[in-house]
This record gives sequence, C-alpha cells and structure tokens, in this order.
Amino acid sequence: MDRKLTEQPLYTIMFLSFLFFIVIPIIFTIGTALFVDGSLSDNLHLLDIETLLLLTKSSIIAFVVALFSTTFGTALGFWLYKTTVIFRGFFKIALLIPLFISPYILAVAWKDFFFYTFNNISIISSYMGVILVLTTIFTPLSMLIIGSALSNINSQLEETGLVLTSFRNIILKIILPLIKPALISSFVLVFIFTVSEFSVPAYFGVKVFTTEIFTQFSAFYNHSLAILQSALLILICVLLLFAERKHIADAPFLSIGGKGTSRKFYSLKNWGMLSQLFIFNWFFISVVFPFIILFVQSFKSGTTKFIQAFELLIPTFSNSIGLAFVGALIIVFVGFTAAYHTASKIETKMKKSFDWLLLIVFAIPSTIFGISLIKFYNQPIFDFIYSSYAIILIGYVGKFSFISAKLIGNAIKQIPNSLDEAAQIQGVTSFSRLQKILIPLILPTLFVAFIISFLFSLGELGTTIMLYPPGTEIMPIKVFTIMANAPQTLTSSMTLIVFSITLLIITSFYFLAKPFIKNYNYNND
Amino acid sequence: MKKLAQPIILLILLIITTSCNNNSNEVVVYTSVDQIFSEPILKEFEKKTGIRVKAVYDTEETKSTGVLNRLIAEKENPQCDLFWSGDPVRTIVLKNRGITLPYQSTIAKDINVIFKDSEYHWTGFSARARVLIYNKNLLKGADVPKSIFDLTKKEHKGKVAIANPLFGTTTFHMAALFTAIGDEKAKQFLTDLKKNDIVIATSNGDVKKRVIQGEVSCGLTDTDDAYEAIKEGANIGIVFLDQQGIGSLIMPNTVNLIKNSRNLENGKKLMDYLLSKETEAKLAKSCAQMPLHKGVKIPNNIPSLDNIIPMKIEYGKTSQKLEEIQNYLKEWIEN
Repeated sequence: MDRKLTEQPLYTIMFLSFLFFIVIPIIFTIGTALFVDGSLSDNLHLLDIETLLLLTKSSIIAFVVALFSTTFGTALGFWLYKTTVIFRGFFKIALLIPLFISPYILAVAWKDFFFYTFNNISIISSYMGVILVLTTIFTPLSMLIIGSALSNINSQLEETGLVLTSFRNIILKIILPLIKPALISSFVLVFIFTVSEFSVPAYFGVKVFTTEIFTQFSAFYNHSLAILQSALLILICVLLLFAERKHIADAPFLSIGGKGTSRKFYSLKNWGMLSQLFIFNWFFISVVFPFIILFVQSFKSGTTKFIQAFELLIPTFSNSIGLAFVGALIIVFVGFTAAYHTASKIETKMKKSFDWLLLIVFAIPSTIFGISLIKFYNQPIFDFIYSSYAIILIGYVGKFSFISAKLIGNAIKQIPNSLDEAAQIQGVTSFSRLQKILIPLILPTLFVAFIISFLFSLGELGTTIMLYPPGTEIMPIKVFTIMANAPQTLTSSMTLIVFSITLLIITSFYFLAKPFIKNYNYNND
Repeated sequence: MKKLAQPIILLILLIITTSCNNNSNEVVVYTSVDQIFSEPILKEFEKKTGIRVKAVYDTEETKSTGVLNRLIAEKENPQCDLFWSGDPVRTIVLKNRGITLPYQSTIAKDINVIFKDSEYHWTGFSARARVLIYNKNLLKGADVPKSIFDLTKKEHKGKVAIANPLFGTTTFHMAALFTAIGDEKAKQFLTDLKKNDIVIATSNGDVKKRVIQGEVSCGLTDTDDAYEAIKEGANIGIVFLDQQGIGSLIMPNTVNLIKNSRNLENGKKLMDYLLSKETEAKLAKSCAQMPLHKGVKIPNNIPSLDNIIPMKIEYGKTSQKLEEIQNYLKEWIEN
C-alpha cells in the first residue's frame, strides 16, 4: 500500500469503509443488473428517442428551477447577508424551512391552496406547478450557498470600489464575479436535486424521467431497465459536477462564518422598502401559505384529529430523532475526514477518489440506492446490518456525506495556511494541530453541517422506505403510510406536527449554535 | 487516536446490540394495505397471541413500491414471513416469481374457491369492489352513470376521473375489463374515454378528492375510499356499475406465506387470524370491506356480496392479461 496512506490510518479506514459499505453495494447492483442479468443487451433498445426526449424535458425543468432558485436565492442572499434589512436574523432561519419539509407534503399544500383560492388546479397540475413548488423548495438552498459566499467577500475590495465607482458597478464588477463559483455551485446542486425529484411531478401528474424510472420499477418490476435509466441520470449529474469541478475547483461553497475577513453591510435607502416587501412576500408564499392551509385543515373539525395524529406519531419521535442524530454525527465525521484530506497537501491516489465517490453516491436516485443496499446486504453474513438500524444509517451517510464534505472542505480552505505552518515549525504534532487549531476554527461549520445533515436525515423518505427494519417506526414513513385513506384532517394534522417539530428543531439548534458562533466571531475579531 | 477509538467501539457495539433479533416469538409481515386499517388488526393479533408482529407498511398511494420491490429484492434471503396485499395482483406477481409458499388454511374452508389460488399460493378474504362515486351537487337522478360505458358519453366530457391505470386496483380493473369484454371492445372503450377527456389522477385517493372538491363530477375508485369519504361527511353517492350487464369488479385482500421464511409457524398463525371471521368483521367496520365468509356481522351501511352482481373473472387469468396489456396501457396514458 502507498506509504502515505499508512501514515493516515483514520482517513484510510474511513475511505475503505465508505467504499465497502456504500459504494460496492451500488457497483454490485448496477454491475449485476447491466451485465449478469443481461439488462444492457435486453434493454438497450428501450433507451429510444422518446426516453432521451423525456430526459431532455426533465433537464429543461431542472434548468428552469435551478435558474429561478439561483436568481431568487441571490436576491434573498444579498438582502439578508449583505444589507441591514430588518428581521434579517429571523428570515435567515425561517426561509430555510421549506428545504427540510418533504416536497410531497408541500405539493399537497400548494394544490389545496390553488383549489380553495382559485377553484382551479389545472394551473398547478402542470409543468408550471412543478417549477413553482420546486423553486420555493430549493431557493433557500441557493440563498444559503450564495449568502455564505457573500459573507466571505473581503470588505476592503468593496470599500475601495465604493470610493472609485457606483454601487451598481460594485455589484456587477466586484460582487458578482467574486460569488460566481457559488452561483455555479447553487445552479448545479439545485439542478441535480430537481432532476432526481420524483414526488412533486408524480403528484401533479407531470411525466418526467424519474416518473418513467418509477413506472419501470413499480408497474413493470423491471429493475434492470430502471437501473439502466438511472445510470443515464447519474451520468448527467456526474458530467455536470465534473464541469463544475473543472471550472471552479477551489471555489468557496456553502461556507459559514467570516474566518478573519471583515464584512461590509449596505444600507438600501430607496430600494429598502422593495427588498423588504420581496422578503416578506417570499416568506409568506413559501412558509406561511402552506402552514395556514395545513392549520385550517387540521382544526376545521376540532382538535380530536390533531390529538390522534400526535398519538400516532409519538412512537416515531425517539427512533427518528435518535437515528438522525447518530446519522448526522457519522456524516459530519465522514465529511470532515474527506474534506480534511482533500484540502491537505499530501498527494495520494485516494485523495480525489473519495471526493468522487461521495459525489456519485449523492447523484443516485433514492430508490436505486435503496435497492442496491438491499441486494448487497440481504445475505446471512450481513444480517446484523440489514436487520438493524445500521442499514438506515448507511443510507443516510451515503446520501448526505457529499454535502457535509463540501461544506466543511470550504471552511478548511479559508483557514490561512500560516497558522498551520507556524505550529508545524514549533514541532506541534499533526493531531494536536488538528485538535487545537483547525477544529476550533471550523467549529461553527461543523455545527451547521451537523444541523443540515440532521434535518435531511430526519426527513429522508425515498431510501428509508425501502430499508427500514420490520417493526420500526420512522416519522416520515409513518406520515406517508398513514396519509393514504386517512381523513384529510388527520393527514394535515400529521403534516402540521412534522412541520412544527422541524421548526422547533431548527430554532433550538439556532439558539444552541448562537453562543458558539458568537464566541468564534469574538475570537476572530 | 485513542480518544476516537472509544466512540467508534461504542457505536459498533450499539449497532451489533440493536441487530441481535433472533427472537422466535415473532412474525414479520409486509403489507400494502393502508396502515390506518391494517395496524389495528396486527396489534390485536399481537395482543391475543403474544407473538410480536414486526410490520413493514406501504400504501397504494406510493403504488406499493416499497414492499413489493423489497420482497422481490429479498427473494434469495427472505426477511418477511407473510405478505398481506390489498388485492390479488401483487400476490400473483410474487407467485409468478417463485416467492410464495402454498398453504391451505382450514379457517378459509368456507370461502368460495374463486377467491383462492388453485395451488393455495394465496387466499382471499374481505373484499372491496370497484365503484363509481359522484358528487351529489353536480350529478342527480338519471344523469348518474349506471354503466362504465356511460362514462364515454358527451355529457361527461372532461368530468370523469380514474387513477393511473398502470398501478394498483385500477390496473386490475382494466385487465378485468379486457378479460370480460375482449381486447377489441376494451381498447375501443379506452379510446373513447380518452376522446372524452378523462382526467387521470395519481391514485384512487386522488380520484376521491377530485370528486369531493367538485373538480370532476364522478370517478372510479374502490369501496373503502368511497365509504371513507362518506364517513368524513362528503356529499357523494356510490354506484355499483353494470348491475344489468358485466357486473362490478370484486377484489379480495389476499394473504400468502413467503418461501424459505424464518418464522413459518407464526406466519401460518397470522395467516389464519387474517382469514378469520373476526378480521373480516373488523375490516367491514373500519373500511367497509365485504366479508367472504358467510354469517359475519357487518354494519348496516356496508353492502353484502350477496346483493352485488360480480364481474365474472378468474383472478389468475386476469393477472396474466394484466401483463399482456401493460404496454398498451402505458401508451394509452402517454398519447
């Protein structure tokens, strides 16, 4: 083995574990489906022009959603992270809510809203509807990515610019070029999330590539063709991410905190009212509307159904929160290990491979990932994994480690090398440098990575529904399985409870994180 | 490294501890019957026998992707002992893939043979029927369709909904129609429906919702959806179609054992319990399902199979027909 690898046992263990527990099952399933079961020869002819047209259609929808989300996310990110608009602290948190609610639930709420308001759902049950709902869901992600990049612009550049030119020119010539990598990252991520999204187009009856994959799975039980079609989807996502990597390899992405740079805030003067109005309207449309619809439906015939919904969900709380908590811890650990070694100067063959592995797993549709894990782990030798919570944790780690690694990686890149080099000259060991310099400096980012991973894991449905061990109660699955045939009031009540719990958790984490971030900023000032 | 080793070891121990589940006093059931109806029955069995029921639920809303694909993927090393399906289609898919195990339950002796597999790979109980529901504010008296073929009439243009025929009970309904009236007539009927701007909903639940909300005036769904809507206070009516003609499609729940399962004896006990009169009475009460046993006490508002003219089909052959017409149905939806 490469000598450098043996010098990094933790990284090597982590890389090999990820490879074995998550990547090999996928290779095993796709390889078996394509080559052993004869799928490639039997089904290749089914990948006809119509399939490619459908893929193009899905890509166009994803393109539009990514464009809108990035545009609105830029505006919101600028107003909330670079200006002095009122309640910006509240809106920074509140606008994130749609990102952590199941898209299916939001689609239901939107459709009901259109029906009760306009007595017409044809507008929402269309491509327009899919674009509208997905844009409201993914704009917060763009806002977070772009807002973080805006926070990290060195104020000296802006201040020098203000002396020499107009505000408009500063936006066009300084700010936008500096955040270009974040804009591209936002576009690429939203594109990937949208092109892989199934529940919203399915609910609105819009045929896209993922609904076609689902049909092969659920109507024809043709796993091989579904996997073959998924491979096309994976290919598109990987190509897109590859292009992003090539062009913005070292771009800051979803970075949290200032890390030594002072921030410049703008006062909007004439535009203040307009931006405040936009933010307020966005909050109303993406958060308040769905909440009102759910609230009205939950309590229209008293509190009985709400109490019943709460009783139904009680058994799921400890399992779901516990699993999401352990999952988030592992995800942050994997993300940190991958990011630390990607950012390090040590060159190994595995260095870039880990990054790519995280990325490929991230791009795989949930159902295919679930089936892959079943086919690989459902063997007597792996029973201790397959019939335990471990299989769900493997699902979470596979799906969300990429985001965690990107988040932490960019925080690490912002730490000046001089700090590490000075300690190295003093003879401080690498473990001590990690423990005493790096980790304290990126603690806020680790915390945010944990929160995001926790919330994504808490709401994960697509893979978990394929994997959850018999007899286990998991919150999003219970909501989903009870939804069918349950009275509307009960369904809305359950959704409202999940909505409220997510809100409560985001708020609690925010207040828990506040002292960390304050302390961190104070240390840096 | 030593500091890191401790939590890692603890985590591994935790995973191993939670995975030690070699408990023989349990039974694993996968079900596509909506959790709100199936869970109370399974809890009752648990209470009566002391056998722990470990269930995996799914729903027709998700087209049962979870459980059925899981059963297929787990074929070589089954985790499930028993599959309780809301209709015969999924069970027959499993039988055709060699996943089911024959079992002739004595409890189901008096259930009509047409509701059982000839080799006892599955047995039917509590049935639902395909019905038409209509919004009473939009359709009255003679305007209400009495036959499925009335849905192609001009007066119903753009006002009728059915669920996606590639999935669930609607697929089976279409296959039954092809079996009952022949391919040519069935295709003509579907073409006429399409010309009449039929609304294709995502599920039977969605059909119910659209009819209640008045987006369409009527739609095809299952009796459990229809009665649930009435229970919720919806102003809808129910019609058993074609009582003067080909009859209404009756779909029993089905239950089957899984080949090479780990808790076979407990699986048989649960299967017997599900096939009992007691379960049928409970399902009649909770979701308007019609008992297949004679002499089961049911609420007054629940119809009896004795009063319905059923569509004359063989479930096995209909499932075979379903496989033949699936590509046609896919094209029908898409074009």
